Amino acid sequence: MSVLDIAKGMGVTLGHLFKKPMTVQYPEQKAPVQARFRGRHHLLRHPDTGLEKCIGCSLCAAACPAYAIYVEAAENDPANPTSAGERYASIYEINMLRCIFCGLCEEACPTGAVVLGHEFELADFRYQDFVYGKEDMLVGVKGAKWQRREAAAKGKDVELGFTAPPRPELEGVDY
Amino acid sequence: MKVVVDGVTLDLPPGTSAIDAVFAAGSDVPYFCSQPYMSPIGACRMCLAKVGAPRKDRDGSWILDEETGEPKIFWFPNLMATCTTAVMDGMVVDTRSEPVKAAQNGMVEFTLINHPLDCPVCDKGGACELQDRAYEYGEGVSRFVFDKRHQEKHHALSDLITLDRERCIHCKRCVRYFEEVPGDEVLDFIERGGHTYIGTLEEGLPSNFTGNITDICPVGALLDATSRFRGRNWEYHHTETTSLDDASGSAIVVDGRTGRIERIKAGHHPEINKTWIDDGTRFGHEYADAPDRVRRPLVRHDGRLVETDWADAMDYVAARLTEVNGRDVGIAIRADATLEEGVAARALADHIGTGQLDHAPRPAGGVIAAGGQARLEELAVAGAILVVGDVTEEVPIVDLRIKDALRGVTPPSLFDHGAPIADLRLKERAPRHAEILTVAAPLRVDLMRHAGRAAQYPAGGERAFFHALTALAEGETPADGDLGMPLEAATAAVDGLRKAETAVVVLGGWVLASLQATEAALHFCRAVGAKPMLLGPMANSYGLELVGVAPSHARYAYGGMLTGAKALILSQLDPAIDPAVAERLDKLELLVVHASFLTATAKLADVVLPAAIGYEKDGTVVNLEGRMLPVRAAPVDAGESRDLTGFVKAFGEAAGQRLEGRSVKSARRWLKKGLGVDLDALPEHGGWAPAKRGPARVAVAVHEAPAHGGALRVPTMVRAEVLDRNPHLRAATGGLALGLHPDDAAALKLRSGDEVTVPVAGVPRRLVVRPSEAVPAGLATVPATPDEPVGLVPIDLKQIALERRALEVA
Ligand code: SF4
Ligand code: SF4
Ligand code: SF4
Ligand code: FES
Repeated sequence: MSVLDIAKGMGVTLGHLFKKPMTVQYPEQKAPVQARFRGRHHLLRHPDTGLEKCIGCSLCAAACPAYAIYVEAAENDPANPTSAGERYASIYEINMLRCIFCGLCEEACPTGAVVLGHEFELADFRYQDFVYGKEDMLVGVKGAKWQRREAAAKGKDVELGFTAPPRPELEGVDY
Repeated sequence: MKVVVDGVTLDLPPGTSAIDAVFAAGSDVPYFCSQPYMSPIGACRMCLAKVGAPRKDRDGSWILDEETGEPKIFWFPNLMATCTTAVMDGMVVDTRSEPVKAAQNGMVEFTLINHPLDCPVCDKGGACELQDRAYEYGEGVSRFVFDKRHQEKHHALSDLITLDRERCIHCKRCVRYFEEVPGDEVLDFIERGGHTYIGTLEEGLPSNFTGNITDICPVGALLDATSRFRGRNWEYHHTETTSLDDASGSAIVVDGRTGRIERIKAGHHPEINKTWIDDGTRFGHEYADAPDRVRRPLVRHDGRLVETDWADAMDYVAARLTEVNGRDVGIAIRADATLEEGVAARALADHIGTGQLDHAPRPAGGVIAAGGQARLEELAVAGAILVVGDVTEEVPIVDLRIKDALRGVTPPSLFDHGAPIADLRLKERAPRHAEILTVAAPLRVDLMRHAGRAAQYPAGGERAFFHALTALAEGETPADGDLGMPLEAATAAVDGLRKAETAVVVLGGWVLASLQATEAALHFCRAVGAKPMLLGPMANSYGLELVGVAPSHARYAYGGMLTGAKALILSQLDPAIDPAVAERLDKLELLVVHASFLTATAKLADVVLPAAIGYEKDGTVVNLEGRMLPVRAAPVDAGESRDLTGFVKAFGEAAGQRLEGRSVKSARRWLKKGLGVDLDALPEHGGWAPAKRGPARVAVAVHEAPAHGGALRVPTMVRAEVLDRNPHLRAATGGLALGLHPDDAAALKLRSGDEVTVPVAGVPRRLVVRPSEAVPAGLATVPATPDEPVGLVPIDLKQIALERRALEVA
């Protein structure tokens, strides 16, 4: 290694001293994430009918390499259906501690019902609070469990710590 | 015969189908319509292959290929359906060439033209033959851009079976099944061409064997309604075990998910049930998860049963038992307990020092015939059969094996790939040899429709019936009326039994209920040289008799125990449904009940211990032929339930003793020593039980009062004692029936469907009135349960109380 190489390296370091820093003052400042970022799942509805897209077929659970998903299906009441068709998910749970956010569930879903969104602020205190049910993931629910808990306690809206450009697969999701 | 499949040379027996030759050679053709144990019909055209054979010249020599000098192969002009083609000597089958592939491709595409492809919501998805074949042999893309055929998607064929008409691929398996296997033609194709659908003439599927069509339908058209949407096929945990529902020992597969049993499918035992089971066995599992299941031990404190744990409950039992003289303790277990549980019960009795040990229900005449008994395989090829009883309800698989005999086709020998996929000897609408079958019963039973001769003897007249037959066999003229059929018919039946190479006499519960009738029947069998087949009342009646779970004196039998013992240990039995017995049980010094539900008896108990049911235990049972079969526990959540070996283990720990039979393993050590059978080395399909019996304690009641009364307790395909906890089966059967002759019902001003309460042998029974011409006037039929075994008993029709009127049908 020559002196010249050392000088080159120092030059790079020196150059960065005068560049605009990358640091984001999270959580005061919102973190920008990419559109393709994979965060907490959303369960979508058909925008026209409002029916759930999920038909409870368990293919996401079959695709999941981390065994994070549990689905139980039931038959729709024809007079008051939950989803389109005969079958809907009566239980849909994802264990966020097991999930590795690989997105295979989204790829496996034949109806585009489960889509990974951008929320990543999922830290919580108790094991049980990491198991997200339908009520935590259906489109319209904003924020992780603890964020909604805190917001409800303070009587305020959920404040998310990021900004993300829209992604067409996240039909109806509005941050 | 020499056959060459894709270059592999095989030697196969004549009559083999080409499709079996293909599989025997390790090659593969897709198929939808063929099904083992059913006739091949060539309906789906999936199994096409290129087939050729050498030809002989007029002089009898092979026509030779000029170039090679070998016999010349003449290819059939078109591809052949291998399932309907028999092998010929020198035949060549090619499943790999381009035309075959093109045909397979085309057929998959054609089958999918009108298929809805709703695999994600289809209960067959993941175990669907069409899915698999489309994946293996299809193009992967569809050229069909038009509207698909639309038909009814959710048609309830019965309370137990749903039909999706869009998914049907018209393979005709279900239609053929009903005609060929149980002989109940209840389903057929309606309309034709693209509009074809399957349907029934009337509402529902009147047969005891309907569930099998959900197993054999290659697609998701016919589905088990009780497990609809409960789980996907890859999520189920499959446990291959033996059914404890009746004495047949049918192979079943229990499918569970997250600690619950969701469905039961037929297993494959080529010598017992082949691939068929009855609906009671298939759909009668919901009770395992009933809300009133006892899941923790209960001990009575201040008059109330309080939850506790096993150790605590057993400390209490052991302490209280020291206050009672060991000889005054009675122990009784239900006859579907496993062999291992039987050993545990014996060990417990020995430890306590009592001769009061029994299993119930235990037929007076026993279930093991001294001179050996017929096997199901012998029944299936018998040249003459006499049935006394209602086998279709009692042990339904015996009914199916009798129908095998009526077809006159011997059971196929198996290939390495299992039963022949296409057995060319089987034909649709084959003629049946009804003349070989004689059915006798005190009422008209279903099997009589298939019998050449039917006899209806007076209820309770089994002994007289066999005496009369024996008299005929010995050339005397029997008393009139005992036979229940014309003399010529009876003579023909006896002659048939005597002349047939294999003759079988099937003895149902009504015969076994009486020692004298059983002896008369066995005497008749010897007189005509027929083999008896005794239908034990429960899954392990044979086995428990074998290991000697029996009293030391006749007065110590179960019935005597209920009046004589000062303390009782009852496993899965519920004698307190009889108010008179309940009163006595209430006065006992100690009542320990090992039960799965809070039964009438459990409610009186000092200690209730949760009992594992048949799907939840490991062990061995011996079926009615004397075949030892493995029982394996499905992974289900039954709380702290244990079987009797677990009971004895906990008891031993409380009493500071290591008792024999404290685990399945320890019980098997005893069985190895005592009976010389090594159950750990039991072959997959079971093995024959030894002729040697356990150290005998056997005693039977000697004096026998003739049965009398106006009610005949009849066997039922469904388990009557838990029908209320099986909602789907209950809906399908309409509840437990009180059978009455229409005139008798009219005289009592009762209509079909009325719910009534009526005392039968002192037990108030809640039943649904079902007037039927099958019941003779003056007789009533009520379903039997393990606590109210089959037989003739008194009924007080004057005390009948109407609980709910049936809705008036306009
Ligand atoms: S993102 Fe991956 S790990 Fe997470 S639930 Fe979906 S399939 Fe499972
Ligand atoms: S029958 Fe088979 S191919 Fe048809 S929808 Fe069901 S799983 Fe799919
Ligand atoms: S319902 Fe099933 S078994 Fe019956 S014809 Fe259709 S596809 Fe075949
Ligand atoms: S035609 Fe269907 S299996 Fe041969």
